[in-house]
Amino acid sequence: MRRLMIKPLVVLMMTTSLAWASEAALENIQVETSVAAVERGADNLMNDCHSCHSLKYIKYRDLVTFGIDKKKIEAWRGDQALDAPLASLMTDDAAMQSFGKVPPDLSLMTRAREGGASYVYAYLLGYYNTPDGVTSNHLFPETKMPDVLGISGTTEPAQRAELQGKAHDIVSFLAWAADPHEEERYRLGYYVIGYLLILTSLLYFVKNQIWSRLK
Amino acid sequence: MINKIIKGPNRIIKWIDDRFPLTSFVKHELTGYPTPRNLSYWWNFGFLAGFVLVLQVVTGIFLAMHYKADVAQSFDSIQHIMRDVNYGWLLRYMHSTGASAFFLVIYIHMARTLYYGSYRAPRELMWWTGQGLLLLLMATAFMGYLLPWGQMSFWGATVITNLFRATPFIGEQVVVWLRGDYTVGDATLTRFFALHFLFPFLIIGAVVVHLVALHTVKSSNPSGIDLAAKDNIPFHPYFTIKDFFGLGVFLLVFSVFVFFIPNSLIEPANNIPANPMVTPNHIVPEWYFLPFYAILRSVPNMVGGVVAMGLSVMMFAFMPFLDRSRIPGGAHFRPIFRVQFYLFLLDMLVLGYIGYIPPTSQSILIGQIATLCYFGSFFVIPFISIAEERWLHKRGLPPEVEALIASEAHELSKFPHRRRKGDIE
Repeated sequence: MRRLMIKPLVVLMMTTSLAWASEAALENIQVETSVAAVERGADNLMNDCHSCHSLKYIKYRDLVTFGIDKKKIEAWRGDQALDAPLASLMTDDAAMQSFGKVPPDLSLMTRAREGGASYVYAYLLGYYNTPDGVTSNHLFPETKMPDVLGISGTTEPAQRAELQGKAHDIVSFLAWAADPHEEERYRLGYYVIGYLLILTSLLYFVKNQIWSRLK
Repeated sequence: MINKIIKGPNRIIKWIDDRFPLTSFVKHELTGYPTPRNLSYWWNFGFLAGFVLVLQVVTGIFLAMHYKADVAQSFDSIQHIMRDVNYGWLLRYMHSTGASAFFLVIYIHMARTLYYGSYRAPRELMWWTGQGLLLLLMATAFMGYLLPWGQMSFWGATVITNLFRATPFIGEQVVVWLRGDYTVGDATLTRFFALHFLFPFLIIGAVVVHLVALHTVKSSNPSGIDLAAKDNIPFHPYFTIKDFFGLGVFLLVFSVFVFFIPNSLIEPANNIPANPMVTPNHIVPEWYFLPFYAILRSVPNMVGGVVAMGLSVMMFAFMPFLDRSRIPGGAHFRPIFRVQFYLFLLDMLVLGYIGYIPPTSQSILIGQIATLCYFGSFFVIPFISIAEERWLHKRGLPPEVEALIASEAHELSKFPHRRRKGDIE
């Protein structure tokens, strides 16, 4: 339990100790859970990320079940089976040649980093150009991933805002992919807690009733 | 002999009673089991620990039906449970949250024992079987943590099994023997799975011993003395209902974690599959091991660190010898011991925090001071408890304590076998 309180503190300490004191700590973002936002995110991800990254724990059928537009899914999966996972389009060998490492699977990405979705969001938008003209990332300077969204070359505020929206949608999709049962979990949780509240208050009254027999 | 004609269910009970002591067992252990009526809610936690044990066994068995103990499949099989198995996410989150709940409940149970001096005669064996249970629980939790085969699973198991290198003469061999290989690998995973399945049943056995001892010496109570018969009430229905109400409150807190923040208890690095080639920046154990981990890291020498860590867990067992005070009522009527109790809890929190953060020269120093305080607080108990008792007598005991001592002396005169060496005649 204690870790709950410690965690944000540690994240803060870790992030501030990185050599980008001018940037603020992770902006705490709230992912969207609506089908529309997740669908937009899936769209962006299939265009910008999927050529290199897999999502091996997500099948096309999961997207259908969630309610994403069937026509889009058909276009993405081509002649693959509905139960096929979202494998990346790049072979591991090709990835090793291009980047020197295999791009990580994204199924659990928002769960696998300290800071979660906020980290991935800040990472996607963390690219910038150094004075010597090299593109680097504030959050993860050693990254092998190129600036896919193109935030480093964008100075126009309106365009930057658009990219931020795009990144937000991608992160929303990834958050759904990391935990597709989250909505169901919350819904069940409210019922369980409601039931327990009633049950526990009844038990409390019964307890007082029984104990009142004692002199 | 006249056989009375008994009808209905009573006939079945009679049939069983002729062959098995069912009615007398229920009477002796439940409906007639004398329990001090003044037990506070701090006495609910033993029952809660029993409940969490059952919860872990039941969810664990269902998880084992879907889990695969194989380095190539473990991580995937957890995701299979989380995504494809009906309510698999619920089983898994209950089990992973249950591990934390188990330790929380056990630590509160232990803190209550320490505060009220429940480890004192005649309950030493309860305390020691409890100590054994704590060790079994720690071993079970540690082995279970390897099973998801994430980065923290792998590196945690690597670091901890590596500590057995400190064994004199045969350290290397012991490490290989434990792992079944030179590194943590498939052999380690399969044996940890087998043992993680076995140990809960050993725990159940030890719990039976713990309960048999309890029903021999009966529950301690906040007054710290054995109450007169009139102050005891039957366990059922009074404490069954009180335990069930406590269970309701526990389940409310538990459900908040299971349904709303289950991932707060899962290290993010454990959502990355184990990779022997990449060490995480910072290897941390689960929260319930942090204070002991901090003690391990506080000793610069590895063997010394392992000994200190082992000793830190075992120090509790010495409490019946260390605490010499006869003042009843636990820490309630012992001002110095009470301050010491709270300082000890504070020290545990400091150690836990130091165990969590990446070590810096400053945090290591704080950890070393906290470690000294940890062991120091045990070592000073014999002196403090005697001096405190003398001081309290000199100052004049509060009337309620005098009453308790008088009542205990009265009870002892009736039950000479309960008398301890040095008791006032």
